[in-house]
Amino acid sequence: MTKVITLTNVSKIYETEELETHALKSINLTINQGEYIAICGPSGCGKSTLLSILGLLDQASGGEYTLAGDSVTSLSLNQAAQIRNCQIGFVFQSFNLIDQLSVFDNVALPLRYHHENFTAKEIAQRVNNCLEKVGLSHRSQHTPNQLSGGQQQRVAIARAIIANPAILLVDEPTGNLDSSAGDKVMALLEQLNQQGTTICMVTHDPRYADMATRKIQLLDGQILQAPQSPALAS
Amino acid sequence: MVINMRLFIYLIKQAYLNIKQNVMFSAAVIMTMAIALGALLCVATLAYVMLIKPLPYPEQDQLYAVDQQLINSENKTDSNAFIYPNLMHLYQNQQVFEHSALMYLDGSVVTSLPSEPMMEIKYVSPQWFKLLNINTIIGRPFNDNEALNTYNPVAVLSYHTWQTEFSSDPNILNKNITLDGKSFSIIGVIDPAFKELPIAGAGYNTQLYLPWDFNSVSEHDRKQWGNDDGGLMFIGKTASGSTLSVEQMSQQLTQLIDQQWQIQVSDQHFFKDWRIQINTSPLKTKIISGSTKTVYLLLIGAIGLTLISIANIANLLLSRNAERQQQLAITAAVGATSRHIFYTLLCEIGLLMIAAMVFAQFIAVLGFDLLHYYLNDHLPRLNELSLNGVSVLVSFGSLIILTLALSYVAKRSVNYRALNASLQASGKGNAVQVSKNTRSAFIISQVAIATTLIFINVLLFKDALTLIEQPLGYQPDHTYAIVLSVPEMKKEARLSQLNALKTALSNTAKIDIVSQSMRPSIFGTYALTTAHDNKGYSISGKDIDEHYFKLINQRLLAGDNFTQQQVDNREPLIIVNDIFAKRLAQHGDVIGTTFNNGARIIGIVESITIPGTSVKHPRFYYSASRTRNMLLVKVKPNQSLTREEVIKIIKSVDKRLSLFSFSSLTHNKEQRLFSATTTATVTTALTIITLILSAIGLFGVLKYSTRMRRFEIGTRMAIGANGRTILSMIIKENLLALLAGLIASVAILLIIYFSIKQPLTQLNVIELITIYLSTSVTVIVVCFFACYLPVQHFIKQPVINNLKTSE
Repeated sequence: MTKVITLTNVSKIYETEELETHALKSINLTINQGEYIAICGPSGCGKSTLLSILGLLDQASGGEYTLAGDSVTSLSLNQAAQIRNCQIGFVFQSFNLIDQLSVFDNVALPLRYHHENFTAKEIAQRVNNCLEKVGLSHRSQHTPNQLSGGQQQRVAIARAIIANPAILLVDEPTGNLDSSAGDKVMALLEQLNQQGTTICMVTHDPRYADMATRKIQLLDGQILQAPQSPALAS
Repeated sequence: MVINMRLFIYLIKQAYLNIKQNVMFSAAVIMTMAIALGALLCVATLAYVMLIKPLPYPEQDQLYAVDQQLINSENKTDSNAFIYPNLMHLYQNQQVFEHSALMYLDGSVVTSLPSEPMMEIKYVSPQWFKLLNINTIIGRPFNDNEALNTYNPVAVLSYHTWQTEFSSDPNILNKNITLDGKSFSIIGVIDPAFKELPIAGAGYNTQLYLPWDFNSVSEHDRKQWGNDDGGLMFIGKTASGSTLSVEQMSQQLTQLIDQQWQIQVSDQHFFKDWRIQINTSPLKTKIISGSTKTVYLLLIGAIGLTLISIANIANLLLSRNAERQQQLAITAAVGATSRHIFYTLLCEIGLLMIAAMVFAQFIAVLGFDLLHYYLNDHLPRLNELSLNGVSVLVSFGSLIILTLALSYVAKRSVNYRALNASLQASGKGNAVQVSKNTRSAFIISQVAIATTLIFINVLLFKDALTLIEQPLGYQPDHTYAIVLSVPEMKKEARLSQLNALKTALSNTAKIDIVSQSMRPSIFGTYALTTAHDNKGYSISGKDIDEHYFKLINQRLLAGDNFTQQQVDNREPLIIVNDIFAKRLAQHGDVIGTTFNNGARIIGIVESITIPGTSVKHPRFYYSASRTRNMLLVKVKPNQSLTREEVIKIIKSVDKRLSLFSFSSLTHNKEQRLFSATTTATVTTALTIITLILSAIGLFGVLKYSTRMRRFEIGTRMAIGANGRTILSMIIKENLLALLAGLIASVAILLIIYFSIKQPLTQLNVIELITIYLSTSVTVIVVCFFACYLPVQHFIKQPVINNLKTSE
């Protein structure tokens, strides 16, 4: 089984003049290709911090981070941006779509920043494919504020997968949705996982955590139980 | 919905508390607005006084100034000053005006006073007092007893002269005052309420009035039909109900004067095909004629700075709104309507503007003092500057307009619907936002105003610098000009006195050379006609002695200087400058050329430039009389000469001699360059202020809009955009506004160019384009940094920070 992510003794400390907060303490974690991981835990346990470090949105204070076989522990800002663009897909709790852009352009955005120069035809093809996957191809010319919350989150998922990332990092995807819309989004994620997409999701909701193939419980910045990947265990 | 008084008082109190709690913000708004409005108020009052306010004389719209223009055979203006007999003919025969008055300006030493002060004197006909309604507080003004050819030796003192020179003596009447050996009986003191008519130039203050008959034009010159004199002036008052237009008046008077003049000069070949043009202009127009460009430029500068300041303050207010979104949201949550929010903003902005306006009044008064101190000799009517009805109107008008406009802009940034939701939502800071159009409008206005102001300032600065730095062609350093007041005496006695004085000065250890000549900047205009081809020249000339060129270090290019003997004998020899020589050279050898008056050219000198002017004129020099009362003195290196030392030397020769004036050529040069120096200083300061203010303004807009887009930037970076991509995105988005601003600046400049009829600069089109492009590049660089600085904060920090709900 190919390792997508390996964290070795990763820690994160937030420092102020008066206070040192250990958000993450010596985290060791491996995520394999095709896995669907749920990171759970109470508020303030470090779930979002861990996801930020995994997504190269933030840098760890210590430890080693390997993504798709390459060390990404100390990258320049530009190198980190390129890896985020090609290897990581993000889905945020609050969707983070750009209101001024159409659904089509929001989804196409990662391709615009991609090191490969995609032609307009290639972009359109990929965007339409992704929108079809999330069931929103009929909404491609709408703007985000013309969509429901669930639809917006599905657009965000389409955007996250358009560059074929090695891993999809999902932060509380249903946090801003009602249960019906939430269920639809979770079903979509499950479907994507079944099609081979590696997913790492932060969630509060035990119902949705159970949908993952592996659950990681965090408390006070430490992993309480990190059972080995079922595939590895077997 | 009408706001009730109780709520209004509450809102005012809250606004006051908010202002108090945000001292830095409030101080920044108040001081920025106060400085800009103070400057605007000061310049607007100046513009009102100079361009609109009636002159402080009764029926001032019936008062006209009359000027004479001497036009040569090539239809070019040769001079703009009256010829004495022309003026007298005009005064005695004109039918256009119901009343008219003559005036002649001069200065003289009052020898009857112990301090022997030099006084500015106006020789006037009695009507002068009537036309301008000049009253006396003691005695009487001139009347028919002082009419033309009465030679009644009386004098009227200015109020200031009476105070300073006669210690406000209540028994001043019938006391005598002596000038140039003549005694005048004092018959009155001018009322202090009288405002001096600045027809003789800004800052001119008459100290003594004498009857016209005693003016210092010599008996010989009073009969010359070819000599003009800049000190001669004429004003007239039309009968009430007169329907004559300015053109008709000019036409009638031209006919009257030119006809007579042509008869008188018909035997002078030099004036063949020359003519006289009489120009009439309303007195008010005449007074401000040379100053309108300055006033308009000051007005443009003040308005530009005010607009930049307003844009900056709008930015500050918008940023502040964004900062207190939570506060506004809570207000909305507890029931404040959209209109309540507007009133809240209105009260706060209103209080800030009132405070700014109060400070602006003080700054305007300070501005009046500064204008009076520095520009009194350059702009007329500055003594009438004060806070007046117009200032109050401008203040209140600005206060109301600014308060409403800024409140409207601030309110527009608040999305009331989003504000209601922002308390429940995750809080993306989007309830208070400035629309893209508003942001673009800010950028366009900032760029347009900044580019326009900087371009105009650079033009004026460059012109001023050219004047300051241009080589003069002579050395003014260590040189002093002395003018003596010599009592009437026989020619031999006067010659002996002056020779004795020159010897005394030359024997003074610190003095290097003495020349019996005038300052290098003073020339008269003369008519010269070449003997061989009868070609006439109207040329500037001056009389000098043999030491003059050596003393001022003016280079002799060819031929000879005057010798002592030639000057002693006043031989008819002249030296011309290279420009005049060039003209004459078209007709053969210059040296040796003779003129109809018998003069012969013996040398050619390099031309000089008079400080403060940019054109070199053709000129000639002839030998001065040894009885000339004007001297130039050059001291040895590292030495200086004082007025007291000169007086001591003069008195050691003859106690009857007095010092009329004493000044260094360096001081004269500085005075002549004052306008250029002031322009250079003011434009440099304005350019720096404009750059700083516009940079702050642009930075403010872009910082605000970037901050509002923090989540978007974070999201873009989260999906792979790097710093450079984000920066180029921000730059590209603002590029259109930047270009629109630059195009708008070109439009504004063209409007200014076509509105101000006087040329703004001497520069050619290529130089203008170069300066405009440099200015644009400077503004573009400022814009680039204004884009880069706010963004770099977001692109350098971990991306996750941009995605957090609080910074």
